[in-house]
Amino acid sequence: MGYSPLLPITWNVILDEARWLSAIGILAHLSLASSFLGTILIAVVAEFLYLTRHDKDWYDKARMFSVVSTIFFGVGAAFGTLVEFGLVTIWSNFITIIGSAIVLPFYLELFAFLTEVILLPLYVFTWGKVRNGWVHWVIGLAAAFGGYWSAYNILAVMASLSMRPPGMIVQNLAASNQTIAGLTSYLVTWAKPTDAWNMFWWGANVFIFHGILAAAILTWSVVSAIYLYGYMHEHRPDQAKVLKVLIPGVAIMTAIEGFVLGHDQGELVLQFDPLKLAAIEGMFWKGLKVDPLLSFLAYGTFNHTFWGYYSWPANVRPPLAPFDFLPIFYLGFMVTLGVLLGVWSGGLSLWYLFNGFFSRFHWAKVIASFLERTGPYTMPLFAALASIGGAVTSESGRVPFILVESSPSLNGGPPMVTGVPIYEGGLINPNLSLPGWLIALIIVVEVAMPALAVYMVYLYTRPRREKPTQVVEY
Amino acid sequence: MVSPVVVTVALIAWAFSVHLPLVYTVLGLGWLLPTLELLGYRSGRRTYIDIAHGLSNYLIAVYAIGGVFGTIVTVFLAGLLPVFTNIAGVLLWPIWGIAIVFGVAIALPLIGLYYRSFNRLSPIKHITVGYAMAITLTVIPAMFRLVFAFINYPAGVLITPSSASNTGFTLSVNLTETLSNPTYPPLLLATLFGAIAMTGILLSSIHGWRYASSRDEYHELGHRVGNIVGLTFGILYSIFVIWYLYTVYQYSPTVAWSILGHPPSYLPSTFYDLYKPTFNLSWMFYMNIVLGAIILALLVVSIKVTSKPIEALKLILTPMLMDSAEVMNGLAHVPYAIVPPVTAAEALIKAYGLSFALNVAKWLTISQLLTPQINALLSLVSVQPGLLLGSLVFFAFFNALLLYVIYAVLSWRRSSA
Repeated sequence: MGYSPLLPITWNVILDEARWLSAIGILAHLSLASSFLGTILIAVVAEFLYLTRHDKDWYDKARMFSVVSTIFFGVGAAFGTLVEFGLVTIWSNFITIIGSAIVLPFYLELFAFLTEVILLPLYVFTWGKVRNGWVHWVIGLAAAFGGYWSAYNILAVMASLSMRPPGMIVQNLAASNQTIAGLTSYLVTWAKPTDAWNMFWWGANVFIFHGILAAAILTWSVVSAIYLYGYMHEHRPDQAKVLKVLIPGVAIMTAIEGFVLGHDQGELVLQFDPLKLAAIEGMFWKGLKVDPLLSFLAYGTFNHTFWGYYSWPANVRPPLAPFDFLPIFYLGFMVTLGVLLGVWSGGLSLWYLFNGFFSRFHWAKVIASFLERTGPYTMPLFAALASIGGAVTSESGRVPFILVESSPSLNGGPPMVTGVPIYEGGLINPNLSLPGWLIALIIVVEVAMPALAVYMVYLYTRPRREKPTQVVEY
Repeated sequence: MVSPVVVTVALIAWAFSVHLPLVYTVLGLGWLLPTLELLGYRSGRRTYIDIAHGLSNYLIAVYAIGGVFGTIVTVFLAGLLPVFTNIAGVLLWPIWGIAIVFGVAIALPLIGLYYRSFNRLSPIKHITVGYAMAITLTVIPAMFRLVFAFINYPAGVLITPSSASNTGFTLSVNLTETLSNPTYPPLLLATLFGAIAMTGILLSSIHGWRYASSRDEYHELGHRVGNIVGLTFGILYSIFVIWYLYTVYQYSPTVAWSILGHPPSYLPSTFYDLYKPTFNLSWMFYMNIVLGAIILALLVVSIKVTSKPIEALKLILTPMLMDSAEVMNGLAHVPYAIVPPVTAAEALIKAYGLSFALNVAKWLTISQLLTPQINALLSLVSVQPGLLLGSLVFFAFFNALLLYVIYAVLSWRRSSA
């Protein structure tokens, strides 16, 4: 699958192994982080509804989801440390880039992390202990804010990997036969110190909010599916209440994600990374060629030409093997399943919110019945695959570079795509070796941690009959 | 404008001084809880198990907050000393990898499982989970203390001149030799026993305070067990600290000079300028000895008499001693991030000349590893000092909030019991 024809074959193997480990780890961390962001939001919304409607059901839900979010936060934070040390050990030279350029979001993330880790236990431990309910709600809101602020900063870093922020300078010192401590040939700096704030430029904000909304959609879809399954079997009023809030929430967020943020994100890829665009849209040709559909979506005409994937040399193209996965993950998973999620959540929202109107029509009952019966399975599946599709598209589409930038070609060819390569001399630890047993062990841990978090949530939420035990509190 | 070195050292020292007492407590609890359970099942005395169950409520919270401060340390290291952290990552990657996979990725779910499975698993299974948790928690200091030993004495490092490198040399490492670092075994054992001792003393203090008012069996047992653990492991800690100081004296001249207040006797006077520490911390060393003696005396008295003032003093002085000893050990390296060994200095002078050896030594100092010319955070702070000032206010606020939350959680849970 080769990143550079100049690299030995063993290095390409190590790169693939390292990418697989990182990809699984990041997806697992994303699942935990998304679960935390989604469930703490549910807790805060539920407590708000309790305070405004004085409905005990919402109090119970808020309390339960605050504990569930804490479980996901705890395991997710530990997993974040695992991912962080994955950077130190596998992509070691990324550390120098952090220090010389992209440190600001990491630095600000510390404050976000402190907010979460201190306020979240306070929120969970003070249910029923703070006399003024609104004060308790504000604590929860601040804890949730810490979580979203944390995500904001980390997504700013991820945005910079795909789109080099304005003012960032990437120099390849290899031309002058120089290295930094013999580790990397790439030096990343800013044109001036205050450009460090450009980590949060408007393009990064589109990327960031696209990611944050995706996290909330995923979790709310999963929770909606669980409640929908329960409601189909038990028809409890508290389940109906939750569905009337969560499913419209999914529908609204999915609409914003697709029509506003997704559109802007596409415009950014079109503008800043034509090679990624070619790879994810499946434009597998060489030279310029008309793509009528993309032309219409991007420019409102049918005759705009685009550079095909094979217009660029092999050593800068994102890998497609073992199959043409990028268009499948982008068009198949992210776009198509995202649309289907919107259809399911939108249809069910109309049914639950305007039931009096739609229940008069037989066709509406048939459609609603179909959506309700299939929703517990399709909604989480669509949301999960759309999220994975988006993450893979974004991260694999920029390979073999980070801090990607394209500039016009001087000889009339396709735009030049540059960045810091992930291979030797760029990001990867030159001392790295990954024996099979180590890869297997890391993957087991990467998969087991989210599974254990889910198991702990199951232990907490399942109905149980406990033996009386004596527990003395401190 | 404050010196960047002072800012860097202060921020890292602050993060460590909050991080370490918390992770010491986690390590200590990791071993104490299954042991208390075991004692309970062996003796048929339920109170042991109740104490373990009560304490397990706090394990995850302490671990999570300690872990956050560990992340803060990492971000400070990457942001302020990027080249140093990069080199540490490249050279010592298996050590970081093992620490994180076993010590974090496996330990945390085990802590959760241990807590959630109280009274849901059979006693033997639950105790097994507890000891598995303790072993995986011990992997963290087992690996990280190797890094601390490495900055005392970088055993196994090979230095090769390189005109292409901006440092003038490249580094490689023989990990087997790294493991043979003489400062490593005493440091690790002192950490382990110190953590158990500190946790035991904290346990005895809290229970002793309560026992002074309530006189019930539960607090009497917690107080007694905590005192015995604190005393036994405190003595073991002292023995290994003495061994550690001996190895540091032999192998890490800057650290020994800073702690003892004078250069080691074997150091040639021609090397005095090279190895002179920035701080003379002998006052801190003697203060720690006095603190240790006071705590020992308090423990002995506490075994005979239970009084609130004694328990309060134990509760305050023990983490203070731990923090003071750790900060002293960390600051004693300054001006170096990694102290160059005397034998290496001699060998480099012999092989490549004095100026090369001095260049290597220069690149091992904190001021050089800050790489101010390419350090984005330092550059930003130099033109926007309000960012640093605001950060310090924010950190101070969160320190206060953290102490309040710990107090509030303890008092609220007590009032609801």
